[in-house]
Amino acid sequence: MSIQVLINGLATGAVYALIATGFALIFNVLKFSNFSHGATMTVAAFVAYFLVSAKGYGIVPTLIIGALAGGLVAFCGEFIGFRRILKNHSSATYFFVSSITLGTLYEGLVTIKVGSNFFNYPQFFEKSTVELGKVVISTTDLMMLIISTVALGILAFVIQKTRIGRALRAVSFDRDTAQLMGIDSTRIIQFTFVVSGVIAGLAGVFLGIKYTLYPSLGSLVVKGFIASVIGGLGSLTGAVIGAVLLGLVETLLLSIMGSGYSTIATFAIMLVFLLLRPRGIAGSNVQEKA
Amino acid sequence: MALLQNILTQAFITVIAVCGVYVLTGLTGMFSLGQAAFMAIGSYASGLLVIKAGIPVPVAILIAVVLAMVVGYLIGYPVVRLRRDYISLVTLGFGEAIAALLNRMTTLTGGASGLTGIPRCIGLEVATISAVAAIALVAFFKTSKYGRQCIALRGDELAAKAMGINVTKIKMIAFILSVALTSYSGCLYSFYMSYVDPSGFGWKKSADWVIMVFFGGVNSLTGSTLGAFILSALPQFLRDLQNYRYVIYAVLVILIINFKPSGLLGEWELTIGNIKKSIRRIGRKNKKEER
Amino acid sequence: MKKKLLAILMTMAMTFSLAACGSDSGETKEDSGGGKETSGDEIVIGCLQDITGSTSGLGISVQKGAQAAVDEINENGGIDGKDVVLKTYDTKGDVTEAVNAYITAVTVDEVSLVVGPPVANIANAIKETSESYDTPVMGFALDPTCQLKEDGSPYKNMFCFQPSATSQGQIMAAFALENELKTFGVLYNQENSYSVSLLDPFLDELKANDITVDENLIVAYGAADADYKTLLEPLVSAGVDAIYCPNYTQQLVAIKTAADELGYEGKLVCGLDAAPAFNTTYGGDCSNVYYINNINTDDPTTIEMSDEVADDVSAVNKYFLGYDVVMIAKECIEEAGLEDADALRDTIANVNGYKGLTGTITMDPETHMPKDMSMFMYTYDNQTPVMLGEFGI
Repeated sequence: MSIQVLINGLATGAVYALIATGFALIFNVLKFSNFSHGATMTVAAFVAYFLVSAKGYGIVPTLIIGALAGGLVAFCGEFIGFRRILKNHSSATYFFVSSITLGTLYEGLVTIKVGSNFFNYPQFFEKSTVELGKVVISTTDLMMLIISTVALGILAFVIQKTRIGRALRAVSFDRDTAQLMGIDSTRIIQFTFVVSGVIAGLAGVFLGIKYTLYPSLGSLVVKGFIASVIGGLGSLTGAVIGAVLLGLVETLLLSIMGSGYSTIATFAIMLVFLLLRPRGIAGSNVQEKA
Repeated sequence: MALLQNILTQAFITVIAVCGVYVLTGLTGMFSLGQAAFMAIGSYASGLLVIKAGIPVPVAILIAVVLAMVVGYLIGYPVVRLRRDYISLVTLGFGEAIAALLNRMTTLTGGASGLTGIPRCIGLEVATISAVAAIALVAFFKTSKYGRQCIALRGDELAAKAMGINVTKIKMIAFILSVALTSYSGCLYSFYMSYVDPSGFGWKKSADWVIMVFFGGVNSLTGSTLGAFILSALPQFLRDLQNYRYVIYAVLVILIINFKPSGLLGEWELTIGNIKKSIRRIGRKNKKEER
Repeated sequence: MKKKLLAILMTMAMTFSLAACGSDSGETKEDSGGGKETSGDEIVIGCLQDITGSTSGLGISVQKGAQAAVDEINENGGIDGKDVVLKTYDTKGDVTEAVNAYITAVTVDEVSLVVGPPVANIANAIKETSESYDTPVMGFALDPTCQLKEDGSPYKNMFCFQPSATSQGQIMAAFALENELKTFGVLYNQENSYSVSLLDPFLDELKANDITVDENLIVAYGAADADYKTLLEPLVSAGVDAIYCPNYTQQLVAIKTAADELGYEGKLVCGLDAAPAFNTTYGGDCSNVYYINNINTDDPTTIEMSDEVADDVSAVNKYFLGYDVVMIAKECIEEAGLEDADALRDTIANVNGYKGLTGTITMDPETHMPKDMSMFMYTYDNQTPVMLGEFGI
């Protein structure tokens, strides 16, 4: 295995990590897999493209607008798609269906706007590669790695050290009790959605840079889903580890056995892993209550 | 007339697949995002058996369904032992793997260009009869011992276990039944379309089916069937709206989930008893008004 | 309970009444028999394209080109004094939808002919259905299997109006050899029939010139693994002269980006999809890209027309294909009329020496595809297209 493959794997893993964390955040609090996450990424990436980079601004404003747009979309999504279900105390399956539908809705709206054309972010960097000692690494990959790490670091800090982070953990542990203890759980859930949306926005812009921008870009959310399950549903650390592992394994398999069979091999590995360790890498905090 | 016939045939084929999804999701509470892959197995296997081996169509369908059930058993083995969230993941990965396999096995499946030359020998009649049979089969399953055990374990797996229900076995039976129905609908699809390509069997299709079940009523077979019928036929009549179709579709489903979470029909089933009850009620109400 | 029963009855009634509305006009067709007596003074042409879905960029371009041709025809008095109406049907990149769309076009709206898709899977899906009707489909599906049955005879209604995948692949290979390229790598999308169909003709032509491409340097990818850098790595480190990339524009942009980031210095030999707007979408130096095109951008009419539409058409060459095919349709209808379906099909199958913007088109009645059509090869000077010459087989 060459260093190049390793770096590619890490860069892919970093983007997967962003997706997986956004995914895991929502699972952490509401105990369902939010499939609208992917379409949120798409919407945010498109907003950032049209408002900022198509007008010639650089990467930093694009990322900021992307993140804000993602937050806003997730905020609205929570209100439209999940608030009532939460109030009705419906079963988790409704969240699941609602999230898939919400995803379809976002994708449909994007398609109306852009007619499923694809777009490409302008080239943000003068030099497309950076030399680190002997290794040549692409500037975009390096940037993704750094920004993902910083974003995840900030997130970890917020959740572990701040008041609102503690409240979030309390709500994730037991919503009703937290409410009784004086935590406004609706607010906290809103907050969680906004945070996951912000992360989705970042991930969306990254995906757009990496794979060009098209309405069904969000289907890459599946990778985040796989990563967060491997990591242990709801665990943020697990999601990051799972994502990096997934990125590395995928890239490695791809370079060894080529496309097609690598998809099948990834599936087989995932299946074996789940049978051997069904809780995921870090998972233990999600209790099964049928 | 040809258009109506075409739409109805396609709708009935979808209804059969959704019957399978109802057994899995509605009765047993498992979410499969790879159900469409079983449709792919059914359509490719039956098509190939007829084209390459010259086997008569009914036999080919039978073999294809059995083959899909065997694959279903292999995948079902881990699936029924895993947490529910993981079920969707495993089935999803399975679906992607099948699609990749179909694309890769170019000499056999035609790869991305699809499989052409399947004889077209299924029409509206066969589709209608099959759909009715599938609905009847599932209705029978629902009221049988197994069906009731499915509903019990959907509500509370732990309690069901405590009551002596063999949870893994029941889940497996439900899974295999649903695979059989879905792959059968795949067979009909290939003999109706006479062409299949790997692109149409992704997780979005499986997700669409789940949405159909919820649209009509996750606890009601009548509702699920109706949901499948309406949601697969409706877009054809909204053809002129082009891009807006999916948005309308999504808004409709979101409204239902928010304001009528049990779906259009809730728990209600179309049975003779229920109809009689309804008629009696109307009668009673009319009498009251007369007084 | 009563409410439920009411709900079920109402929804069923609604669906059926909708269905009835949809089929009303269909029934009138049955009565009028096979000949397509267009009511009144209009000739309706159907346009069966992916308006949504992954290949909608191509579909919309064809549709706009066809519309432009229709507008022009109407300004000049229509066909035989009748106005032409273009009706578009969205196939959504889905084979089931395509069949629905075709049946709607043929039985409900009774179109006189259909401008077909540039996508092989869609053409494959409708070819069997089209046999039961009398409406020609004038499309652009490169893959010969879209037009030919297993026994080698053509589907009576299916026509293709651009050079087949075979000739395009051959032209690209011949061109590459002429330009002293010796070692090749290939990166193609195995989940895309267009990409797959361009692969073998290219390799066969190379083989005919005693060049074999190493197995390990023919790399396939799918939608699920878009990590082009890992896929390109072996090709770049093998130091090939050229990488053959028969892929859609979207993937090409990502592939070109990845190749640059890997420091690849050889050439990229691409299909139609590297034509503009590839250069502007990519946004960097495209000097190492060769591509094939249907249109000659040195031709003044072509320049004028492409300038007009450049802003809202994503695949300009597809725009011209759509334009040409409607113009051909006009000539055929004028010659054969619409009453006799067989005569019309015959005329279409025997189009001879039509000078269109996409070259001179002569159809081969045996294959329903153009014979000996030449194409143009281009490269870029930084971002400006440069025509290198006309190539034929």
